[in-house]
Amino acid sequence: MIGSIEVRGLSRTFHTTVRRPGFAGALRSLVNPQKVAKHAVSDVTFSVAAGELLALLGPNGAGKSTTIKMLTGILTPTAGEARVAGVVPYEERERNARNIGTVFGQRTQLWWDLPVRESFAILRDIYEVPKAEHAARLKEFDELLDLSSFWDTRVRHLSLGQRVRSDLAAALLHDPPVVFLDEPTIGMDVVVKEQVREFLRHQVEERGRTVLLTTHDMTEVERLAERVVLINHGRLVLDGTLDEIRRKFGSTWQVRVTLADPHTEVGSLPGIALLRHEGPQAVFGPDGPDAPTVHQALKQVIERYEVTDLALDEADLEDVMRAAYVHAEASHAETAAEGA
Amino acid sequence: MASVLHGWRAARVTPLGELHTPPRMTAVLLRLTVQVVLVASLWRGLYAHTGTTAGLSRDQAVTYAVLAVLASRLRELDQSAGRDMVLQHMHFGTIVYWYLRPLPPQRYYALRALGEQLYGLAWALGGYVVCLAAGVVEPPESAAVAGVFVVSMLLGQWVLYYVMLVLDQLCFFTIRNNSAMLILIFAQNLLSGVYAPLWFFPDWFITLSSFLPFQATLSVPLSIYVGRIELSDAGVQLVIQAAWVVVLALFTRWVWRRAARRVISQGG
Amino acid sequence: MSVKAVKAVKSLRIAWRITLLNIRAAMEYRTEFLLNIAIGAIWQVSVIVFATVLLARFTGMGGWDSSDVLLIPAIRMLAHGLFVLLLGRMHFIGRQIQEGRIDIYLLRPMPVHRQVQLDYFPTNAIGDLTVATGLMVGALSRSDLDWTAGRVSYLIAAIIGGMLLEAALFTVVASACLRFPAADYWSRWLEELLGTFGSYPLNVLPRAVGGFLTYALPLAFVAYLPTAVLTGHDHGIGVPYWLAAASPLLGIAGYLAARLVWRWSLKRYTGVNG
Repeated sequence: MIGSIEVRGLSRTFHTTVRRPGFAGALRSLVNPQKVAKHAVSDVTFSVAAGELLALLGPNGAGKSTTIKMLTGILTPTAGEARVAGVVPYEERERNARNIGTVFGQRTQLWWDLPVRESFAILRDIYEVPKAEHAARLKEFDELLDLSSFWDTRVRHLSLGQRVRSDLAAALLHDPPVVFLDEPTIGMDVVVKEQVREFLRHQVEERGRTVLLTTHDMTEVERLAERVVLINHGRLVLDGTLDEIRRKFGSTWQVRVTLADPHTEVGSLPGIALLRHEGPQAVFGPDGPDAPTVHQALKQVIERYEVTDLALDEADLEDVMRAAYVHAEASHAETAAEGA
Repeated sequence: MASVLHGWRAARVTPLGELHTPPRMTAVLLRLTVQVVLVASLWRGLYAHTGTTAGLSRDQAVTYAVLAVLASRLRELDQSAGRDMVLQHMHFGTIVYWYLRPLPPQRYYALRALGEQLYGLAWALGGYVVCLAAGVVEPPESAAVAGVFVVSMLLGQWVLYYVMLVLDQLCFFTIRNNSAMLILIFAQNLLSGVYAPLWFFPDWFITLSSFLPFQATLSVPLSIYVGRIELSDAGVQLVIQAAWVVVLALFTRWVWRRAARRVISQGG
Repeated sequence: MSVKAVKAVKSLRIAWRITLLNIRAAMEYRTEFLLNIAIGAIWQVSVIVFATVLLARFTGMGGWDSSDVLLIPAIRMLAHGLFVLLLGRMHFIGRQIQEGRIDIYLLRPMPVHRQVQLDYFPTNAIGDLTVATGLMVGALSRSDLDWTAGRVSYLIAAIIGGMLLEAALFTVVASACLRFPAADYWSRWLEELLGTFGSYPLNVLPRAVGGFLTYALPLAFVAYLPTAVLTGHDHGIGVPYWLAAASPLLGIAGYLAARLVWRWSLKRYTGVNG
């Protein structure tokens, strides 16, 4: 209960005004606006256990941010229900606010004109954190995020990496059991990214916080998340572990070979697909549910073709996600066609 | 008690921001000085060939005008520099954070405004003392006038708070209302008597203005100070000011609720 | 047609097309557009009342006839309205700079100054110009002066000069904003000063104060001095008559100089906080 997130059948529809093209159209829209409904999130169900880090994935515009907004209480769903640490966020926004910490990567909650530490002091006051507790936590965060090197600088003069680290600290200073991070590492350099990941891992493993993270950085997902929820067009496509996603959308292995004769005719073998072929290089992957094991596949490829070099890779997560997004796209188009 | 003061640090944002940027304070000092000199000489010049007009003598008019300049300091800071205006939060999408904290946005806003007004008061008081010593403004006629003036000024600032709040609340509903804001600020300045005492205006204008809250912010307290509103009439004016406080408090509360609904239906 | 002329026509056409798009964009924000029109009415009434109220109270201001004094706010308002319409985007530039818009402008193949001007359509200029035209009509109908062709041409020159001078002042502040975005503060003060002190015969002020508004902040040349020339008040205006008469030329010179300052500052523009 403490720190868990429950989402059941959550849906959100927006109504927007259609802008008609042309000057006359603009005038007509002024007099008689035309509304259209857009289903940003429809019937999404998932849950996050206390102390778990879950990555919410999906292409741009899939409904990730809308979902986070409903879980933080700043957006009311049109249907369905959500509970964050036992509280219905959009019904008891202020009570929920004490349980959560939120960072929207591109937007800062810090006071632009003041040194970072003053922002922390204001937040301490707003969240009513005891002084000693605040100091101790600030010390802990400083050790992990190296805040003291810039916390006397005014926010307007911070670099992006410094600003996001400060925002991350600001969101966690009141010790929330649940943390929402909307693309926290966007635009940051590798060193800072690693620092932030380390910090998040520490917060989950040592402090037992529940983290819901959205990101487009697959390295981050691989490093941090055991479980992912994939949404597209507002619908839940998959809820499972990274391995499950790999199994479902990614070939589990790839065999790269260099052919002795670049002019060899290359094609697919039973259960083995030819993925790419360029000059002497060819890449094979499993094909269909009856694909052979890596061992058998290697044997078959070597038997069939004369190769001078051979390498075995696991498909990387980016490829898997691309396959998953494209797959979701195709099935969405199908349902849309059926509906029409 | 603790719950009343909860979040009080938000009140420090403006003064702290100013203290961290000394050039801004120098700018305020320079602007205030020049403005006082200009306004005082303008009214003296205007009165050069005229005795008492519109019930105001030269000294009354100069005192009124200079006090108006000082009072406009109370709530006219470079707010945009702090990126903490509703307009900017709507623009940058950071308004969501106001709704993500256990402090209601209206309380946060009120604390910010209170800090800002107290900071401005320090400036206005300092300026007043200097102007009084230099003989630019006249002291109030009696202790009673001074007392009523303080009460009226307090109510006036309260009304002003709500007027500014309405302007900011407008931003929740129309994001690009820059020009509308400028026009309303102009209306506030004109109808509160910052540009010229309302007594100079035609009767129909004064009548029109008496139906609006603007004159309650500045014109009434300053007129009490210079004695253009007699103490015997001051009671009625204080009641009207208090009535505006109540009306605007209710109105802005209703708008806050609608603003929250708007943020929550659109996700900020 | 020369290559230069073709280029000028082309850029004018682009500017016109962008302006049309901006007007459309202004209409997209339905509430604001309608609100602007509604509030414009309040604004118009207040400005005219404000301009006439003091004239009615203080007749013989600075030794001038009321009908003569009325010409000052009329010229100033009309010059201001034209400034807002044509070159007015300069006084919100502080915000554009803080948001890093200048960096985007610098990447496009069009002068930055023109892009700033084409950023949005100033809906409020319509209100400004309506008020100003009304005021000018009122001032001219009350005037006892003989409006010869020469005087009318000088009036038009004065209005254009006033517009350019106001534009010059705001362009200089905008140039300062490129280096110090906080200088935006001064632009608001400038607007307030122009609004409050631009409409009086400045000889009501003590000599030192009048001198400040003539030589330090050349506000006198916007409307006061050209009006003095038009109405034949060539004495006691604080400057030699020839200098007062040259006000429109000063407007042109000031504007060209301000554009040079702008170019110079833009070359040294280093961006805002990284």
